Amino acid sequence: MKTQWISTLPILLLALALPATAQDVEMDVDIAGDNLKLVALEALMAAPDEKALPIVIKLLDGDGNEDLKEAALFILSQIDAPEAHAKLLEIAGDAADPLRPDAIRMIGIGGDAESITKLAALYAGGDAATRDAVMEAYLIAGDVDAVYQIALSARDNEEFESAVEMLAAMGARDELRQLRQSTGNSESLIEAYAVAGDAESLLALARDESDVKTQAKAIEALGIVGGDEVDGALLEIYRNTDSDYIRNAALGGMLISGNDENVLQLYRQSNDLAEKRELLRALSAMGSDRLFEVIDETLTGTQ
Amino acid sequence: MRDDELILYLYDELTPVERREVESRLRSDPDLASRLDALRREFVDWKNAAQPPAPGDMVQRWHDSIDRAAAGEYAATGEPRGAFSLASFAWGAAVTAALAIGIGIGAWFSNRPAAPPTAATSVAATQPALPEQQGTAFTRGLRVHFRDAQRELSSIPVEAAADRTELVMQLIQQNRLFERAAEEHGSANLARVLRAFEPILLRLASDDIAPEDAEELRKQLAFELRVMLTILERDASNKTQST
Repeated sequence: MKTQWISTLPILLLALALPATAQDVEMDVDIAGDNLKLVALEALMAAPDEKALPIVIKLLDGDGNEDLKEAALFILSQIDAPEAHAKLLEIAGDAADPLRPDAIRMIGIGGDAESITKLAALYAGGDAATRDAVMEAYLIAGDVDAVYQIALSARDNEEFESAVEMLAAMGARDELRQLRQSTGNSESLIEAYAVAGDAESLLALARDESDVKTQAKAIEALGIVGGDEVDGALLEIYRNTDSDYIRNAALGGMLISGNDENVLQLYRQSNDLAEKRELLRALSAMGSDRLFEVIDETLTGTQ
Repeated sequence: MRDDELILYLYDELTPVERREVESRLRSDPDLASRLDALRREFVDWKNAAQPPAPGDMVQRWHDSIDRAAAGEYAATGEPRGAFSLASFAWGAAVTAALAIGIGIGAWFSNRPAAPPTAATSVAATQPALPEQQGTAFTRGLRVHFRDAQRELSSIPVEAAADRTELVMQLIQQNRLFERAAEEHGSANLARVLRAFEPILLRLASDDIAPEDAEELRKQLAFELRVMLTILERDASNKTQST
């Protein structure tokens, strides 16, 4: 491979340097386009980092177009060297640099722990785009604790919800549970439990009758998690509640989880025409094949 | 004039005096101009060279490896509905949630990143590192994935939102699979890169993105895929040389 990159390097240099020289020698400018430079940048990764790094930094410091520089930033993220980390931080720290969000993303991709730590200051002092970019970098780097800290110190509900959603997307169940202890229940936390697949937390809320709205929300969210335990719990909640509101929430959970067997079972066991109608509608909404079975039974009088 | 001098000239690394000298010689020396032209042709040939398709047996071995990994995880967790099922990924849950009860997480995912697999870290922590042979299979499989993704990206209908969304969703699922495999393999860098692809794919899947923006995202992703392919091939080659 060494010989391979050595033979490629002159071509890379040629591609990256062409604009200034092509006009001078009136050579075919067809190869001087930005696409060519992108191809050259790709191939740069075949070279050792110490050879690629100065070329990439030179490109970033030059007057090239933004797309090309964005591409160069990705190359930089793949070079594990202090100079590469410093360059990314330099661009990420410049609020006026249009490449700032890209540089922040690349810090996440690069995964250098020290650089990622420095993103907290950028988040604290940044605008919405910068904060989104930092959050994305945390997700890419898998830095759950950084997002958790943002949720804990959120300045408003919107920021809190953003952090909670991100924690859910990262599957950070422990941190989400800790947030409930410190901030109490909220709709965004229930949604986050669902996305993170935390059936245990949702089941606890679904069985807690102290706040019927929270309870109903948790019951519906259980449908997102799914699974045998959840299916059983939804059936149990549906059967045992005295509240139509909660019963509807349980049916909603079944509808979301797609468990038509349970709905069919409830339909066949029910003697209440209004309830049967609701259950039939649910089967229809689920697109269940069992619907035709039920229709046939109803029309032939076996139900 | 040696090639390296010519290259330094092209790279704009010569002094003004040296540069003028080269330009003078280029004007008067057809052979020298031909050498430049040869470099250009070499580059164009290299650029247009098709990637050789992955051998079928390699793809099959990788698929077998994935199946074994899935079976192993199923046995470990005893949770048939949750084990290594693409449909159970957190993102899938988020989309389901948005569609079913309108919680709006879809809006988040339309312009923000999405999830790494929820159980990946714990699985990685509890499973031993893959043996050498499986590690090689992993990188080979990943190369196949990058090539497949490149090919699929190039065929994505930018203008047809529904078709684009469906194709990108498939790519996201594949990407998830390999991200998880990278975690299990202990390849943190590859896992981060694969994770970084997902927000771009999700934006690309969004049905309200303008065709020109979709095209930009597609180009960005195609570039990053090609770079990663180059890195994987470089590393594989370095490994071969060192053994």
